[in-house]
Amino acid sequence: MITRRTLGRVAAALLASAALPALAQDRPAPFDNPGEVEIALVRYLSTGDFFQAYLAGVQRQADALGVSLRVFDSRQDAAVQADMVDQAIALGVDGIIIQHGLTESMREAAQRALDAGIPVVAFDVDVENEQIPQIEQSDRDLARLVLEQAVEDNGEEWVAAYVYVPGIAPLDRRNEVWVEFKERYPGIQEVAQFGTLDNPIANSVANQARAVLSANPNVQVVFAPYNEFARGVKIAVDEAGMSDRVSIYSADISTADIGAMREPGSAWKATAATNPAVVGEVSVRALAMLMAGEDPGRQVIVPPSLITQAQLNEENISSMEELSARIPAFAHADVAAPDWMPLPSAPQD
Amino acid sequence: MTARDFAIRYGFLLLLLGMVGLFGWLQPGFLTVPSAVFILQSVAITGILALGVTCTLVVGGFDLSIGAVATSALMLAAYVMVVWEMGALAAVGLCLLMGAGVGLVNGLLIVKMRVPDLLATLGMMFVLIGLQRIPTEGNSIATGMALPGGGVAQGTFSPAFLALGRYRLWDVVPLSVVFLLLVAVLVWVFLELTRHGRLMYAIGSNAQAAALAGTNVGAYRIGAYVISGTLAALGGILLAARLGRGDVASGNNLLLDSVAAALIGFAVLGASRPNAFGTAVGALFVGILLQGLTMLNAPYYTQDFVKGAVLVVALVFTFALTGRGARARA
Repeated sequence: MITRRTLGRVAAALLASAALPALAQDRPAPFDNPGEVEIALVRYLSTGDFFQAYLAGVQRQADALGVSLRVFDSRQDAAVQADMVDQAIALGVDGIIIQHGLTESMREAAQRALDAGIPVVAFDVDVENEQIPQIEQSDRDLARLVLEQAVEDNGEEWVAAYVYVPGIAPLDRRNEVWVEFKERYPGIQEVAQFGTLDNPIANSVANQARAVLSANPNVQVVFAPYNEFARGVKIAVDEAGMSDRVSIYSADISTADIGAMREPGSAWKATAATNPAVVGEVSVRALAMLMAGEDPGRQVIVPPSLITQAQLNEENISSMEELSARIPAFAHADVAAPDWMPLPSAPQD
Repeated sequence: MTARDFAIRYGFLLLLLGMVGLFGWLQPGFLTVPSAVFILQSVAITGILALGVTCTLVVGGFDLSIGAVATSALMLAAYVMVVWEMGALAAVGLCLLMGAGVGLVNGLLIVKMRVPDLLATLGMMFVLIGLQRIPTEGNSIATGMALPGGGVAQGTFSPAFLALGRYRLWDVVPLSVVFLLLVAVLVWVFLELTRHGRLMYAIGSNAQAAALAGTNVGAYRIGAYVISGTLAALGGILLAARLGRGDVASGNNLLLDSVAAALIGFAVLGASRPNAFGTAVGALFVGILLQGLTMLNAPYYTQDFVKGAVLVVALVFTFALTGRGARARA
């Protein structure tokens, strides 16, 4: 996404990198001469708002450092992704970010990069290598934050429906928290579990949710820990005319979700999210630390923020940009940020 | 009428009734008016797509691009209203034009360029999946989104457009269900009662004979793809009106579900051929099944399994039990 604002930021970053050679020299090698540094982003998943925003964050931090970025996009082909790592090695890049993928196909490829002396970080894929830091958005914190809000809003006793598709790593991690929560609050009674990834996901989930709501008209809370699920549930709740009786709690957020949460009388009460752009920035920063010979730690966790309907209404927020501007915790994570690290300028002027 | 004939003619409808009875018995909420409305609404979109694909099946063709046409219409409708800030009428008009246009290109590729139907529409499917993402650089469309050219999208989905997917006649029947019934009746009348429909069946069973009898085979085949594309776009419009946003999606599940409905339709009343009534019943069948299983908390993979099993059973009804057809071909 290139807005006038990001263009401005890019221009500012360019100007800064041109005007401040003295500053750049204060940075550890190789960032004292960033023009000759190239990093590669090797992606497994790329379609969708989340991945677009992630890429924007990677680009932003790369610009702030003044290094060039090369993007490889395997489009969900595990074998191609492994080949792309080899391609990046052959091109002699100075660092590699692996974004998603399969453990089995990426483990050896990542090791080959290390053998070639190229530092590697991995986002949301476990390559089972001690030398490769894992960038993670904490799905467990995400689920915990929003469920605590659900308990605060609804008390400790409610009838719940739960949307879940097993076998998807982030959803599995969110599910662990849900299972713990049900144990901790025995008053929470789960009467239905459903979910599908048939696309358009929101439409398919809406069809399911309506069946569930008509079979269980006593449901008070729907826990839908993925925004596509929550969208579908909201459609079903609206169509069934149950908005005043049902509350939806979700995870993740996008501009369209903000609109849906702020509709008058919306059942979508709260969500917890990590800003994908910030995750992108942190990925580059962790890689940069590694390239400079510093240790970002084995796990680099980007903390999520809780976003409630009330908060959005109070601050009159209607887009992701405004969300970043008015909720600073969402715009910036103080993770992998040593003193020398140039940070992308704040989204608001 | 022998027992065998009876099974062929009414077997599938009896299966449908039995299933409704079973779900009604297991789940008290199933046999209610709201539940019936839910089911109809959940099948409205795939049903309309399935009726379109039925028209191409009738002329012996196939349209793999309908799912992509529907999601392209979804994105186009959102783009027209949110980015160009135009009204509901423009959105609907442009989407239908787009669908008809895609159908026309499909038809020309198949008839004039002699590209096999599966390959032509497969190619079109990929073109559309890519094309619908180009204007927004892969992002979903919603009010307040940042535009690639700078600035922020200010438009909103017009209430009139959203009503297409959300308004209910007498507070009960959603408009999308009315569209489904309307399209089903129109396609049925067109295929069964008009000269054009009969000629299309004639082309499907023997294109050469139809041509020798003076039918403009090419024009009818192109026409079938135009109908299919237009109906797919209509399905996409209803989808957009329901979702209220332009979601990036490939539409492959829409394609599979609607093709399944059309194929199940072969078995209804022992027709052994694509037909509008059968397609509508097929769509309903899949809808009832999924709705009932979801009410019983069956996970999604069992639903896929059951859907597949139903399709196989329907195909057995069509090809094995209808012995006449098999003997005639042998």
